[in-house]
Amino acid sequence: MTSQARFVQPPRFATWLVNLFTVPQDDSIVGDLFEEFRNLASRSGVGFARRWYWRQAVKTAASLFTLGWLAAPWSTAAAVLGGFLLAGYVNRLPDKALSVATDRYLMYWSSHFQAYLWLLRGMLIGHIIASLFVGSMVALAAKGREMVATMTLALIFCAMAGIGCLWLVAKTGEIASLSGLLWYWADPLAIVVGGIIVRTRRSPMTAVPTA
Amino acid sequence: MAGRDYLGEFEHIIMLALLRLEDRAYGVTVRQEIELRTQREVSIGAVYATLDRLEKKGYVKSRRSDPTPERGGRSKRFFRVTAQGVTAVNQIQRALSSMTEGLGMIGSYS
Repeated sequence: MTSQARFVQPPRFATWLVNLFTVPQDDSIVGDLFEEFRNLASRSGVGFARRWYWRQAVKTAASLFTLGWLAAPWSTAAAVLGGFLLAGYVNRLPDKALSVATDRYLMYWSSHFQAYLWLLRGMLIGHIIASLFVGSMVALAAKGREMVATMTLALIFCAMAGIGCLWLVAKTGEIASLSGLLWYWADPLAIVVGGIIVRTRRSPMTAVPTA
Repeated sequence: MAGRDYLGEFEHIIMLALLRLEDRAYGVTVRQEIELRTQREVSIGAVYATLDRLEKKGYVKSRRSDPTPERGGRSKRFFRVTAQGVTAVNQIQRALSSMTEGLGMIGSYS
């Protein structure tokens, strides 16, 4: 093994990605990847080994996602369903707050329209915070399969948003409606981030890597 | 054995790799053995997902080794085929032999 290969480390984010999906306290999968990375780096070069490692990490995360579902389908489905219902309730709260605020201070908002626009933007942030909360709750319920449950819920919301936007485009013929998808996908992303936060707090192996 | 307990294609390949490797069978060696003999790239995640499934079926048992420095202080998970697993492999081998018997050169059908 060359001296460079001996000290070179595999991509930290790829390792972090795999650790998000492994069973807590099971380091054998990352150990296998590490061992093969070292061997490849000395035989075929660091660049080749890094590309191989990333490819393996992504495929492994996908396999572990499926495995997580197969290992506990009912409890994972229950966590996802609970998250779906919770999201339906929690995501209405910012809108209710906006409604109360506009009704109570109608005179103020009518004379400060710019401030009202800022309030509307704040609602979007409110939705993202609500989704973070939902993601965290789902991850807490799906212990050991935090990412499986939160990613499934996020994929459901992404699909719903996608179908809704396509339906809108088909009905109105306005392609510009698709740009709204980026906003709609911010909430599912926040759900996944909520899952990552809980997973990271639970398992020291998934501490966010520093560059 | 019920039909649903038959080994799938990848399960079958993994079982044969474990039988070949004997007491050297862990994630890295299993993955490399399959790549070497089947010429197809296999992810370590797919290997573990299948091994976990086989362990649940009772065809495979695993044990952990002590952490080693060449693995960054991480342990290895060794696998071995159980008696029930050997029976399952024999059953699928017999079924395949029976199905291919008298077909001559399989390559001529491709």
